[in-house]
Amino acid sequence: MIIDSYAWRDGREAMLRFGPAEGPVTIIALPLFEEANRTRTFAVTLCRALARLGIGSAIPDLPGQGESLVPSEDATILGMQEAYAIAAEQLTGDGRVCFGVGIRSGALLDALGLLAGRWHFAPQGGPDLLRELTRIKQAELGPAVRLGDAWYLDGSPPAEAVDPAVEIAGNRLSPDLLTELTVKQPFDQSGNPRRIVRLSSDQKPADRKVDAAPLWRRAEPGDDPALAALLAEDIAQWIASCGG
Amino acid sequence: MPVDDADQIDAAVRAVLRDVLALDDARVAQFREATPLFGALPELDSMAVAGVLTELEDRLGILIEDDEVDGEMLETFGALLTFARQKALL
Repeated sequence: MIIDSYAWRDGREAMLRFGPAEGPVTIIALPLFEEANRTRTFAVTLCRALARLGIGSAIPDLPGQGESLVPSEDATILGMQEAYAIAAEQLTGDGRVCFGVGIRSGALLDALGLLAGRWHFAPQGGPDLLRELTRIKQAELGPAVRLGDAWYLDGSPPAEAVDPAVEIAGNRLSPDLLTELTVKQPFDQSGNPRRIVRLSSDQKPADRKVDAAPLWRRAEPGDDPALAALLAEDIAQWIASCGG
Repeated sequence: MPVDDADQIDAAVRAVLRDVLALDDARVAQFREATPLFGALPELDSMAVAGVLTELEDRLGILIEDDEVDGEMLETFGALLTFARQKALL
């Protein structure tokens, strides 16, 4: 593993790199917010498993996430999508073919990348994530308060004033980002290869279902090397089928 | 595969609690109707409550409205199971 970095519009972020310096490379988008902490160790295990199969990978920190110096309340989905695209461009700069790997809501972040395909693990759409964040906030507040739709907007005049950040499970988030989530879905356009893998316990449709526990639900960050090996093989076969 | 019988729902609810609260199989197998959950399990904080509800939705193919969620439904294993059965077997 090497610690690389990339420069985006407003600064520089770290990017972990794994595996060979040539051939196909995957760029991994971790889930947003708390789920990132719960899946980072697993993502590194996945990168190492990919490296054993001859596939390079990178995990960029995105602005407002991970070790980024950008405050979390300044993060927007669009800003993260732009930074992701720049990180992907850096990986393809030397002629490598780049594939997106999105975990959970990480699948929302690869839309602007020039990618040869997108592989999504248990992808979560923006409205579903917003519902879950609202649920966490509701559980924090208790039953005495009932959060309605767009509860994160301030509502006080003047209407054009910037709404203050809201705190959800220790993360300060901007109402703009929460508004973005109401419309964001994983990138899916015909002609662009996309593969979806989900857990067997998930009722939503997928190209493949795998038996495993959802690491992103565990408060203590866990790992699952057997699942990482299984998914790395799935990614490698899919990349080969895409001609990568 | 849709979950549509009582045994499957029982198994799914136990699996959700195991996965979200990081409990072992032996512990969740011992849960009875009267086993207290919210307030009795320190693992069941606000994030875990949201996780339990969302996982139940994903695994049972149901939609839980916010106004259906109250403290009582998470008070005991039996209350949660009854809620899940009512939603999934409608």
